[in-house]
Amino acid sequence: MKSEDALSQKKTNGVKLNRRTFIKLSALTGAAIGASQVLGPSSTRSAVPVPPSASAPGEEKWIATSCINCPARCAIRVRAVDGKAVKIIGNPLSLVSEGKICPRAHVGLQVLYDQGRVNFPLKRTNPQKGKGADPRWQPLSWEEALQEIGNRLQAIRQKDEPHKLLLFSGLNTKSSEEVIDRFAKAYGTPNLVSGEGYEAETQKAGSWMADGHSGDVAYDLDSTNYIVAFGADILESSRPLARLLRKWGKMRREKPNRTKIVVINPRYSLTAAKSDRWVPINPGTDAALAMAFANVIITENLFDKAFVGHWTAGFDVYKKLALDEYSPEAVSKITGVAADDIREIAREFAGTKPAIAIGGKEAVDWTNGSYSAYAIHCLNALVGSIDIPGGVIYQEGVKFQEMPRIAEDETAKKGKKQPALDLRGTDKFPLAAVVTNQIPEALLTGAPYPVAMAIGFNSNFNMLAPGANRWDEALKKIPFYVHISPFISEMALNADILLPSTTYLEEWAYDFSPPGAGFAELKLKQPVVLPRGKTRPIPDLIFEMAKKTGGTVAGSFAGIGDNAEGFVKLRTASLLPWKEFVETGVWRGGDYEYRKYERLFRTPSKKFEFYSGNMKALSAAKKTTAEGDLSFLPHYKAEKFLGEAGTYPLVLLPYQPLMVMENGSQNYPWAQEIFLPMAGRGWNVFAEMNSETANKLNLKNGTPVWVESPYRKIKATVKFSEGIHPQVVAMASGQGHYSYGKWQTGIGVNPNEIIGVDYDSLDGQSVFFNTRVKVYKA
Amino acid sequence: MPRWGMVIDLDKCVGCQACTVACKAENNVPHGSPREQTERRDFFWNKVIAASSGKYPSVRTELIPMPCMHCDQAPCVTVCPAQATYRREDGIIVQDFRRCIGCKYCIVACPYGARNFNVKEQETTEYQRQDLLPDRKSWGPWPFPTRTHGVVEKCTFCFHRIDQGVKEGKKIGTDVVPACVEVCPSGARVFGDLDDAKSNVSRLLSSRASIRLREEMGTKPKVYYLPK
Repeated sequence: MKSEDALSQKKTNGVKLNRRTFIKLSALTGAAIGASQVLGPSSTRSAVPVPPSASAPGEEKWIATSCINCPARCAIRVRAVDGKAVKIIGNPLSLVSEGKICPRAHVGLQVLYDQGRVNFPLKRTNPQKGKGADPRWQPLSWEEALQEIGNRLQAIRQKDEPHKLLLFSGLNTKSSEEVIDRFAKAYGTPNLVSGEGYEAETQKAGSWMADGHSGDVAYDLDSTNYIVAFGADILESSRPLARLLRKWGKMRREKPNRTKIVVINPRYSLTAAKSDRWVPINPGTDAALAMAFANVIITENLFDKAFVGHWTAGFDVYKKLALDEYSPEAVSKITGVAADDIREIAREFAGTKPAIAIGGKEAVDWTNGSYSAYAIHCLNALVGSIDIPGGVIYQEGVKFQEMPRIAEDETAKKGKKQPALDLRGTDKFPLAAVVTNQIPEALLTGAPYPVAMAIGFNSNFNMLAPGANRWDEALKKIPFYVHISPFISEMALNADILLPSTTYLEEWAYDFSPPGAGFAELKLKQPVVLPRGKTRPIPDLIFEMAKKTGGTVAGSFAGIGDNAEGFVKLRTASLLPWKEFVETGVWRGGDYEYRKYERLFRTPSKKFEFYSGNMKALSAAKKTTAEGDLSFLPHYKAEKFLGEAGTYPLVLLPYQPLMVMENGSQNYPWAQEIFLPMAGRGWNVFAEMNSETANKLNLKNGTPVWVESPYRKIKATVKFSEGIHPQVVAMASGQGHYSYGKWQTGIGVNPNEIIGVDYDSLDGQSVFFNTRVKVYKA
Repeated sequence: MPRWGMVIDLDKCVGCQACTVACKAENNVPHGSPREQTERRDFFWNKVIAASSGKYPSVRTELIPMPCMHCDQAPCVTVCPAQATYRREDGIIVQDFRRCIGCKYCIVACPYGARNFNVKEQETTEYQRQDLLPDRKSWGPWPFPTRTHGVVEKCTFCFHRIDQGVKEGKKIGTDVVPACVEVCPSGARVFGDLDDAKSNVSRLLSSRASIRLREEMGTKPKVYYLPK
């Protein structure tokens, strides 16, 4: 009864008691559900509803849990009155974002009570799949659904073909991710595919080349005095967002020196609007600009000699490259940024310590994006902003309770030795951890081998992917597709069986934010309300599937908690007492330690490398020496755009506004009605164009137009903007849904539908910005 | 008697609109729809607006969070024929739904577009807030649990919070603040007593230059903005 004890303690908490008193005054009635009904005694299985007892008094609770409407996973506190969640605020105990949350977290109420949610398992009765085909769902019992899935999982393993099981993982809690990963390993499939291939792989590759850390770069923003942001939409889509929003306020007016922020982007983003200086740049040329900054900093002797001298390697080669090829004048021609501006910003950057250079989507989601990220990251080393207060820092992990080893049989071992469907680690994508957008290719061609079955966990790649329609076609090729999520997304429309999972406000889990804070912090998720309908948490379903598969798969899932709650309890046992975790919702590791240079760098020289030894070793192993030394150095390479400049004169720039809920659905009126604050509009997507460009094309503000790429076209209305590079059309992503949900279906268009399919040459990150388009009257 | 006011630091504001969403959640303000937005019938008690100027590449867009300005010389109060809108002693301008006759005179008079006319029944299924309990009595401390069709509504500075806080002897401005101030992730919003020289709003105002919107109209707004 631990969790109940914790809750009764929580009631004595100051502010909350007052509110509760207030509620008591408002004469509560008998239909109320008390705390034990909401959570269930901890001795029962997780998420199994306890019938409400009529005599339970009405009650207000503040429950500490965490959000997952985007990958930032912030700690929240939810006010629940009589078993209904009515308000979400930040949890002050979380220091990643100092207890603050972004607007998406507030929209959580509409995620929980979304009318488009599914309440019981569904089975497809229409064998025809694809966009526009009605699945003709029939309700199904959990037992039938899990039995059928179990039988198929067993059959595939009996044929010794576990690699033919394909798993998709969208935005899941960290604990769910672990359970899914364990399932893939125990089952014996190398094909666990996350959406990361659409997100930040180039960024990771860039920092890996420099310092050996393959993860998002973390920034210690409390005492940063200067930021130059290459394409990074710090206030819209960077991660972890709530932290960045909080620290922005802090950097501007809560420290003695106001931080100066420069934004480099072809689009006048919200971040640019709030910055001190916007530098429009020719799309895809950020690497050249970063190298030009290096040129100025080195030429004018402004770099941090102590750090560069002691803790970096390859400076001479890098210096030669920067000085020979990236003079401000030469780069000015490439980027369209005036040479004087380049000098001025470079001097400010080097002279205002601590300064950081941040790379983001518009700068690094290109075919040579890894090297752009590398070039940007090198600027941080040049000014000594590595592992210092106010500089780049290195995220510490959480030391969870060890789990028993996975039991592997021969089938599993053989299966995992098969090449992965997404060609990760092959010559095509030598550095790739996951190449999400390669999967449709594999499914459509049946190479390297056909898939027997797929399971999708909260994934919705049909909306996120460049060339989105490929997914519609590819999913048809999967003989049996099981989709697990709380609502019917576009991907779910292709399912043979649809299993409704709980939302994050109804389940047990743990989560931690993407790199940012430096120190480790873990957040709990606990049920705030009873699961809606017959929905069940994802880990519970995986435990069931493993059991039904039997053998070593079932064995691998024995003794690790049996369900979501048990698993979370087990894994966090090494950190803090369960009772305390349930009450506080947050566990924090020790303070961050700076300047750990002796043990920080995971490179051959054990230093920060301007000339990548990691990359050299990888090339040697793969025997690829295509571009010689340049492959090991940060550099700019002219982008090969998709589409002829003659026919398609403009470059399409899709961007992600803040109110895109990253859980795969957008069926939330609170988010939709304020979707584009810079345009003052919601519920729509525009073709945002520079007014001069539009005038040349004879297009007026508000004209309906086709935006056509070499692949497809979509319809939108023109929106004049003085904040768009003349060669660019900007369109917000996140809309254009065609699946369930009154508040999302048929609203706006999805620019990803007309983007061509292309990859970063090293890590297989999807390229979003190199498609050319033409715009004409519809 | 305090005189409640708000200071919004535009240098800290990140334009995220957390205030807008938190206000809707706190005050049960109905959400709109695509059609209502096209017809400009959707409404907000607080909204972040964008004001742009300049030509490429010297463009400039200001994002301005807009609650009710709670003017000391409020035109809406002057024009209301039914005395449905009035100034409380603590300076908060409130709207009495029971007195409001829905003439919209105040909407025309308000220079800030802070007032909204409610044309829809909250209780229709389409707009029903799924997270609220069917029994209104248990909704908790919302000031107007029952919405009324055909009246004018607006920001209240979350006076339900303030009144409750005062009753409990809490420090308003630190322990108790309106919902938009509470959630602002960048800490751009501050609330407090403008007449108290030691309050955080007064101290902030004395530290930097501030502006009020359309001050020339003599409305004496109690929402101050701190520019960059």
